[in-house]
Amino acid sequence: MTDAPQPIRVVVVDDHAIFRSGLKADLDADILVLAEAATVEEAIAEVTRNSPDVVLLDVHLPGGRGQGGREVIAGCAASMPGTKFLALSVSDAAEDVVAVIRAGARGYVTKSISGAEISDAVRRVAGGDAVFSPRLAGFVLDAFGTAEVAVEDELDRLSARELEVMRLIARGYSYKEVAKALFISIKTVESHVSAVLRKLQLSSRHELTRWAADRRLL
Amino acid sequence: MSAKMYRSQKRVIAGVCGGLAEHLGIKVGLVRAIMIGASFFFGAGLVFYAWLWLLVPMAGEQAGEGNTLLDADGNPRIKLFRPAAGEPTEPGAADGRQKLSIGFKEVLIGGALVIAAVVLLGQQLGLNLQLGTLIPLVVIAVGAVLAWMQLDNTRRVGLLSAAKMDTPMALLRLGGGVVLVIAGVLVIVTGSGSWTLVWASVVASLAVLAGVALVLAPWVLKFWREFQAERAGRIRETERAEIAAHLHDSVLQTLALIQKSANSASDVTRLARAQERELREWIYQDAGQNSGQLVARVKAVCAEIEDLYGQSVEVVTVGDAELNDHSQALVQATREAVLNGVRHGGTAVSVYVEAGPKGVDVFVKDRGAGFEVAAIPADRLGVRESLLGRMSRNGGTAEIISSASGTEVRLHLPSETSNHEDAR
Repeated sequence: MTDAPQPIRVVVVDDHAIFRSGLKADLDADILVLAEAATVEEAIAEVTRNSPDVVLLDVHLPGGRGQGGREVIAGCAASMPGTKFLALSVSDAAEDVVAVIRAGARGYVTKSISGAEISDAVRRVAGGDAVFSPRLAGFVLDAFGTAEVAVEDELDRLSARELEVMRLIARGYSYKEVAKALFISIKTVESHVSAVLRKLQLSSRHELTRWAADRRLL
Repeated sequence: MSAKMYRSQKRVIAGVCGGLAEHLGIKVGLVRAIMIGASFFFGAGLVFYAWLWLLVPMAGEQAGEGNTLLDADGNPRIKLFRPAAGEPTEPGAADGRQKLSIGFKEVLIGGALVIAAVVLLGQQLGLNLQLGTLIPLVVIAVGAVLAWMQLDNTRRVGLLSAAKMDTPMALLRLGGGVVLVIAGVLVIVTGSGSWTLVWASVVASLAVLAGVALVLAPWVLKFWREFQAERAGRIRETERAEIAAHLHDSVLQTLALIQKSANSASDVTRLARAQERELREWIYQDAGQNSGQLVARVKAVCAEIEDLYGQSVEVVTVGDAELNDHSQALVQATREAVLNGVRHGGTAVSVYVEAGPKGVDVFVKDRGAGFEVAAIPADRLGVRESLLGRMSRNGGTAEIISSASGTEVRLHLPSETSNHEDAR
């Protein structure tokens, strides 16, 4: 991957300058940081100007209407269909994670992850895949329920395979290990994860709605 | 142009025109001219002025007091640190009071002039206004203006809260009482059961009460606003005190400890990690997750090991279960598994707990070198007794899968109800 012909162009959005510079130093050489932004307005302006492949987006940002990362995604999504968002946060709170995923982010990682891991996540998101941390997988299982239940809408439940994949990710397996454990290819794992992400973004399953309402996400 | 309209501090009467001009971005003179001009059309300008006076807050009072919980966009913000004492509004308010004493006379003269104008206009239009109806009207108008003038002068009294008028029930009781008293007094005064007489008196007294309400409405409004501002201030103060206390107990203590043990990298990591976990728990405490105790126990056990060895243990949980003897044993087995992972794996350990109707599953995974399960010597109590033996004694199962890329311990404990079903 390191000798990829085209570097991945990213914009880093975070209100802490120390964190931005630390992140820039941590990212691998094939990831090119085009610009940085510290507020919602700056972020929308920079993303629109640079049209990067990936935006590394802090969930909590000053400015705008106080919605942070969600607002940036909403502000850019219409004009930048090719740009993917990877959410970054110090927070593990379910409301932060799920709200930003439902707004359209392709993945969620906590700020404590290593430089190699975050570079890997950026590449994955740039390639069109979703990035699930164990914790996010846990939230998904919590929201959709761990048992297979009969629901009419395809969007409202996880298939047996998707449940298995989510469980393994929650257990700390990497995509490669998941593929090995289930005897499927990494590509198949990635498509399962993308399907789960889509369901998480689009589902109106009442349990998910209630779960979200309990946590004041709606 | 500001998003919200405020009455201007630089005012002639009540600062309405100034505020309006600022809000709309046009000149004050123009606004005043329009307002005065409109007053000659059946007093439309005057009514509009009075209406704005009532509903639009002074620039100082809102920006200085009521707004501290909200920033410029109306978003809540937490102010950790106390603003410098005496900062809010005092100069502005004093300034306003001084101006008011000048404006008072002028407004009386103006009011008299306007009333005279209305009377003249009415007579020209052929309306036969009698002095008998005019004088009470004038009296009411002057009374209202007096009451409203007084208003900007009042400082915070907290009258409403003192009278316990801040709940709807109390208001209802007060209203009911007033109505009953009036009805009673009327029946006594009219002295007869004559319905027509009572009816007329009821209408008359309602008219009087409406007049009184008209005068009092702005007072009530003002008191209500002040009350709200005061309450917001109190809540903010309590919140700040609580945050300060917590920061003192936790973060400051930890920082002091870190400074003392700055030479030992592992100590610093451990302290920082423990503090991070505690702070997270405090900030993101999830009320919905406290139904059972199993998850809390597992988290506590993992936190303890994290502190002991300075290795991070990531816990992901789905669902929760009650803590009984069997699940207590499961927690102990989990502890042993995590301990093994931290000790022998030497890497970060992932713990996943899934509690459902069928039972509880716990997975503990590390990325260490791994070991041969069959090769564990028989006298090694750790794995054999604490994991496998303990689980089977409590009706559960334990499995250890180990390879060169890491080890995973899988624990399963069926729930009590499914146990009974199996027995039947």
